[in-house]
Amino acid sequence: MSPSALPSSKKRSYAPHKIAFYIGLVAVWQLVAMAGVWPSNIFPSPYEVGEDLAYGALDGSLLHGFATSMWRLAVGLSISIAGGIALGIVMARRESFNQTVGSLVLGLQSIPSIAWVPLGILWFGLTDAGIIFVIAIGAVFAVTINTYTGVKNIQPHYIEAARNMGATGGRLITDVLIPAAFPYMISGFKQGWAFAWRGVIGAELLFSYLGLGYMLYVGRSLNDISQIIAVMLVIMATGLAVDAVLFKKLELKVMSRWGLR
Amino acid sequence: MAKLEARGITKYFEHESHRLQALGGVNLKVESGDFVCLVGPSGCGKSTFLRIVAGLEKPDGGQILFDGRPVTETGPTRIMVFQEGALFPWLTVRDNVEFGLKVSGIPREKRAEISERYLDMMQLTKFAGSYTHQLSTGMKQRVAIARALVMDPDVLLMDEPFAALDAQTRDLLLVETQLIWARTKKTIMFVTHNVAEAAVLGTKVAVFSNRPSVVKREIPNDFPRPRVPDDKELIDFQHEILQELRPEVRKGGGAGAAAAPAAAEEAPGEGASGANKDDTDAEGTVAVEEEKRREGGTR
Repeated sequence: MSPSALPSSKKRSYAPHKIAFYIGLVAVWQLVAMAGVWPSNIFPSPYEVGEDLAYGALDGSLLHGFATSMWRLAVGLSISIAGGIALGIVMARRESFNQTVGSLVLGLQSIPSIAWVPLGILWFGLTDAGIIFVIAIGAVFAVTINTYTGVKNIQPHYIEAARNMGATGGRLITDVLIPAAFPYMISGFKQGWAFAWRGVIGAELLFSYLGLGYMLYVGRSLNDISQIIAVMLVIMATGLAVDAVLFKKLELKVMSRWGLR
Repeated sequence: MAKLEARGITKYFEHESHRLQALGGVNLKVESGDFVCLVGPSGCGKSTFLRIVAGLEKPDGGQILFDGRPVTETGPTRIMVFQEGALFPWLTVRDNVEFGLKVSGIPREKRAEISERYLDMMQLTKFAGSYTHQLSTGMKQRVAIARALVMDPDVLLMDEPFAALDAQTRDLLLVETQLIWARTKKTIMFVTHNVAEAAVLGTKVAVFSNRPSVVKREIPNDFPRPRVPDDKELIDFQHEILQELRPEVRKGGGAGAAAAPAAAEEAPGEGASGANKDDTDAEGTVAVEEEKRREGGTR
């Protein structure tokens, strides 16, 4: 998803290429804007977008929007992680549950989170709860399916050894199933995060009730394209940062502990 | 009363369309403090039998009596040391060793005290903070043995624990296992198809027949300890075991099974490692048994 996630050579650093590419991109953008092909309210220059970013940062509106979206996302994603782990484990351990509820999960997983917005609005109104519902339901099945796969792939000997040493029920889940399935579960969290992040922006656009998505909506209503682009840059940067910092760190830690890297 | 008694244990495996009888009514008595080695041709079901004793698999017939009472569930009175160790890769060596204590609710300080003792006994103190992938195969088996011993089980069940080790490491662990047995007075059941291992370790060798397996003969082994694989008298003893084993292997005719006595005959100490190729050599039926075993484990 992030550029650094694409396969790259370890020996050679492409940092200078990257820097040059982005400087070039901004320069071309500036030149096109200056050429005056389109009016600046339709095609703002990078300078104007930068101004908007700085303005939004200074008056706190960007930060507020960012914090609102992040808060909703954190609550929604927590719900989907907790629910997804529980569902996934039961599906992996109870075949009857897997054949019934599991088949429904597969179906529900194919629904984009944005499609839950109408239900969210009708059930919860134009509230935080409605947006959180959209986030949680959009992300929960990715966590479920990855947890299921992870638990299914646990070496039977781990479970046998644990049971043999007296681990049953909750103990077996917390001390064996979850840690043993964790490498798979991280993929679930990553996917869940990606769905949740898309979900929260989409839901906020449609609920038009605070947050970064709402700021996009406002930008559209006011024909303020530079604000739209400024907010989009914040959305992109957040996505990259969470992926590269949070998940990469978590993944590296688990992988090195297991000796998979 | 025997510590552990198997009465008429039978077990079938489904193999494509037909049923295959692995265990044909195994009877075995193990007294407290016995070190019983189970040997038999590859795929004869001795590992399956051990898993039934552990309660990890249900027999189709017969009973396991523990202190005279029938047992069906698995539990820490009979702790299993798996062939591949089955150590938890997400835990450090120390946490692996303490796992069983933790699940039985023993407080942290007490756990540390106990694990320290066994880490020391298995010469693992230096590696206490390592993760298992950082250890050699031999080290892993030491951890697996330490993890089993901390549970202070009445019976220790070892399923070919040294099969994946190189000869040197195995010889070292053969000596150490005897010392542990002498120090802890544990009752041990040890599955191997390595005749030399059986001769070195056991107070008794139980020879399994070819499928459907029964215990064909129990041979007591009173040689003085410590024993090493190339003791002259032990080599004669190994031949005695082989005498029992050879017709069974011929009946089986599996590639893996045939390798065992042939190699062992040339030079029992060395040949043992040749026999270590394990059940993986054998044909379909064994693979099916293995598969069933794995499947059984997921439940």
